[in-house]
Parts: sequence; C-alpha cells; structure tokens
Amino acid sequence: MSLEVNADSKNTIYTPDVARITRIERLSPTEKVFKIVFDDEEIKNKFEFKPGQFVELTVFGLGEAPFSIISNPKNRDFLKLCIRDVGGVSRALHNMEEGEKVGIRGPFGNGYFPYEKMKNQNVLLIAGGLGLAPLMSLIRYILHYREDYKGIMVIYGAVNPESILFKNEIQYWSNRGDISLCLSVDNPDDKWTGEIGICTKLIPRVIFPPDDTYVAVAGPPAMYKYVVYELEKKKYKPENIFLSLERRMECGVGKCNHCHVGNKLVCVDGPVFSLWEIRNLKEAI
Amino acid sequence: MLYKVLDKDPYKDFIKTLISKYEFIGPKKKDRSVHDFVTIKNISELDTNYMRTTIPPAKKLLFPPDEELVTYEIEKKIEVRPMVESSEKILFGISAWDINGMNFLDRVFTTDFIDENYISKRKKLIVIGMDIEPTETNFSMSMGAEYAKDGFDIYLTELKDKYFIRVATARGNKIVEKYAKIRDASSEDFKKYNKFMDNYRKKFKMSADINSFYYDFESIYDNGDFWKRVAKNCYSCGSCNLVCPTCFCFNVKDDIEINLKSGSKSREWDSCMIPEYGLVAGGHNFRPDKENRLKQRYRCKLKTFLDKFGKYACVGCGRCIEACLAKINIAEDINSVKKEVSV
Repeated sequence: MSLEVNADSKNTIYTPDVARITRIERLSPTEKVFKIVFDDEEIKNKFEFKPGQFVELTVFGLGEAPFSIISNPKNRDFLKLCIRDVGGVSRALHNMEEGEKVGIRGPFGNGYFPYEKMKNQNVLLIAGGLGLAPLMSLIRYILHYREDYKGIMVIYGAVNPESILFKNEIQYWSNRGDISLCLSVDNPDDKWTGEIGICTKLIPRVIFPPDDTYVAVAGPPAMYKYVVYELEKKKYKPENIFLSLERRMECGVGKCNHCHVGNKLVCVDGPVFSLWEIRNLKEAI
Repeated sequence: MLYKVLDKDPYKDFIKTLISKYEFIGPKKKDRSVHDFVTIKNISELDTNYMRTTIPPAKKLLFPPDEELVTYEIEKKIEVRPMVESSEKILFGISAWDINGMNFLDRVFTTDFIDENYISKRKKLIVIGMDIEPTETNFSMSMGAEYAKDGFDIYLTELKDKYFIRVATARGNKIVEKYAKIRDASSEDFKKYNKFMDNYRKKFKMSADINSFYYDFESIYDNGDFWKRVAKNCYSCGSCNLVCPTCFCFNVKDDIEINLKSGSKSREWDSCMIPEYGLVAGGHNFRPDKENRLKQRYRCKLKTFLDKFGKYACVGCGRCIEACLAKINIAEDINSVKKEVSV
C-alpha cells in the first residue's frame, strides 16, 4: 500500500538548505549570474547535478522560483544561476548583495541533457535568448571533456547585441577554435557584423549528418515549433533531439501540478525531454 | 479484510466511546442542505444522514486550503524548520467516493517524492466510511467510485437491523474488537449486504459514458469550436477546483512576519481554471483561454492519471456540477464528447 512509506519529518521536500551568494556578476542590462555556496559542508559535498537540472531558490520572506543551473557539473564547490530581472523573486535577487543568504532545494528534474550518450557524437546546441542559460552547464561539461565529443556547434539568437549573454565565454569559445559558433541578433546595431534575424534560419547550414548528431535546444516557448520543423527537415532523429521546456513551477517535486503537460510533469519528468517523448503530447511545444 | 456485523443497539455506545476516546471528526448539519465535517464532542451533533458537503472531508483534513510547510528565523543566522503535523484523529462517516478521492491524493503525495506534510497526517487518520445517499449530480457509479475497496480502516453499511462492517486494517480491527460488540458476518448477513448494495447502486441517477473517452478525447482535442461551446459560460472562477476531492494544485508562497525576524513557506490551493495558472515569469501564458483551461481540466481528470496511476482523477461526486455558477456539467460533457466523436 502506498501509505507504507518512510517520511522524514526533519527534512521535508519543501525545506530549503541555507546557502550564501558569494559572487554576483552582471551579464547584460537584465541578467546577472549568482554564484552560490551551501553553508553546510555536508550538504555542499553531497550536492551533485546533471546538465539541464534546476533548483528552487528561496529569497527568505519573499518567495521561491525555479532556475536552471549554469555551472559545470564537475565543479562541486558551488553552483551558478543566471537570472533575468522579471519581477518577484528575480527582482529581489537582483537587489541582493554578495554575502547574503538564500535557500536552495534541489537539484530537480529526472530529464536532463544526455551528456553520456552524446559522447563520440556531434553536438548541436540551439539557444534563443535566456535559453542559453540552461545549455551552459552542458556546454561547459562538453568542453571540459572536449576530446570525447565530435563536432560541436552553438547556434545562439539574441534580440540585440547588448542582450547577448556570456560574452566573455563566447569570446573564449571562438578563441578555442574547436567549437563552431553562429550568432544572430534580431535588431543589430552599427557595429554588428554577425547574422541578422531569428536563429532558426541558421539550422539549414548545419553540416552534421543525422546519424551521429545530438541536438540540445532551449529558448522561449514560441521558438520550439520552428526549431523542430527545421531539425526534422534535416532528418535529425527525434530521439536524439532534446528540448528544455519551461512551465510555471511552484514545488519542483511533482506535487503542485502547475508544470503538467498531459501525463508529463516538467519538473520531475523533465525539464529536458527528447522530441520523441513529447512529439504527440498536445500543448508541449 | 474481515467481515463483521454490529447490532443497532450497541452501535450508539460504540460511537459514544469513539467520541470520548479520540479526536472525532464527523458530519454535522450546517444549514438546510449542507453538512460540514467538524470535531464532534457529543453524539447529538453527529448526523450521518447527510447528502452534501461543500469541501470534501479528507481533503479538508489532509490537504487544507492553507498550510504552513516551513518556518524560519532570519536574524543573524538563518534557521529553517519544517512544520509537520501529525495527531491521531478519526474521520467518521466519509462516503465511498470521498474515500476513493482520498486514495487518489495518497497516490499523488507519495509518487516521485514523499510529501511528509500530507503523509504524516494521513498515517494518523483513522478512516471510518459509510454509504451515503448520492445527490442527483452524483455519477460515481460511472467512475467506479461508488464502492470503496480500500483506503479505510472500517466501513459501515447500515442494514435494516444491523451494521455490516468491513474491517480493512489491523488498526481498525483493534478498535472494533475493543469498543464494539461485533460478531463475524454469516452467509445470511452477506446476502442482506449484497441486496442492500444492489438497491444502493440503483440510487445513482446521473451517468457518464466514460469508457471510450481516452481515445475520443484525442480525436476531439483540436476541435476548437467544440471546446468553445463547452466552455462558453465558464467564469474562470475555480469553484470546481475548490470543491473537488481530487484537485490538488497548489501555490507555494513565502511570507514574512511584521517584525522582519521570522517568516514561513506555506502552500495554498490553486485553480487550473483561473488565467494566472499557466503564467510564467516574463509574461508568457501557456493557457490564456478559458476553453484551453477547461479542456485541460478534463484531460487531467479523465485521461492523464489513467496513464499515470491507472485510475481517473475524478470520482464522480458531482460537487463541481453543483458548485458551477455557469452550470457546466462534467458528466454531460463526457457524454457530449462521445456524441460529437461518433457523429
């Protein structure tokens, strides 16, 4: 019977662990990166995550919201979150300073980017806007073990040059020479020399063959349909295409039901799904 | 399962004993047509001859509308304390469909992650069920929920001169053995019980043809006109969610005390019918239209959990039909889906 379960009343699924913000870095007019370290050594040592997973962050007394982890899973001492100031919890975070305390629950999500399966394969990463954040952890991991992977290509679309995130990192990628980059902006300024328009237009140019290519996608909800359309035209396999879905989440642990899409919950079954899993799931993309 | 009988005379003493020994929650008349499950101190307050309750009793006790989950001190050092309540109670007089609704919640709160706040209360809840007179909107026969197979400790069925008792747990058995003058049910008692149930099942007047909904729903999903018609009068008020024994959506919120030194995290019921339900930071709404939301409610109730748990997230209690100001009727809509598809 389902009632024969061991409940731990000292550490419930809603109890956040206390952590501190050790570094804040401004990325763009609306985004900042927060480096976060758990107060408790034991919790810090136990905390492990996979690319694409997320945490629920509590601003004590104000509220809680889900954010994807952007740091390299290999770094076990801290986690980093990239947060856009859109009001509520994110606004409160943007007003916080280094040294201040937050609460962390997680990591959550059983669906993550399959970095193991991607080994010895080409990896195409497609990001729109803030969608680069959930892909960062995967990109950092792959670059850490660069020799394990074949070709790597990042297609990234932003609204304008000013809103491009992780500029230093992108510069570093282009200096490395072992990762192809395709940047596009909707509204260029005078100095812009890259691509113009939505990033999906760049997909037809990808030369990775369908047989040994994995694709990871993250971006605004409206982007997915077009990206999937282009990827299917190129015959990439639906079981090798992985998309990070965004939904409203309150609990992160499959209880509050806000993130449900049919019989899937984005928080526990995702947030990363293969296209195969969701292609016939109404409302998913 | 043990099958026992209890004569009517000692029944009253049994209840009186339970009221004196336990925190006893049972139905009490609230006004002309509605009962409410409250703490009963005296047997005269108890009225098991009820038809309607607004808020389902198990949900009210186990998953209250507003529930503190965590409290914290935020002075120099932040200290976080989970709030888990568990005190033994008897829930008396709950109907079969509401037990089935509770069984559904049990699954939700123990799947993937264990919800300690729910399950610690549930484990301490002694459930004593009874056959309750169905209202005219009750279609639990169609949903297979007019009979409770499990989820209770003791279940009482009132026959002419005695109670037929099903004892489902060791805890329930201890209670009846200690406090009630019971004896084993004879084959004659079983005959009477079966006869009662046959007659009882005839009392359910509303029905929904649910059998092919699983597939019919897929084929009608993109028929915008149909869903516009179904949801035409919906006020997006969420009354259907509030009275539902299986609705479990909630928000998590943090509050701070006025002294700014302590705060808490709590949950409060949410409703999938209100526009903000699918709204994410940045302003995108995944279900901006009421027809999308109503369709989603039906999908959740009648399809999603058939995939996940092998059962419906609807027990057919009919509360949402009575609560709806726009007279939206889920049973009729199930039938309309079938009709629309078979045309």
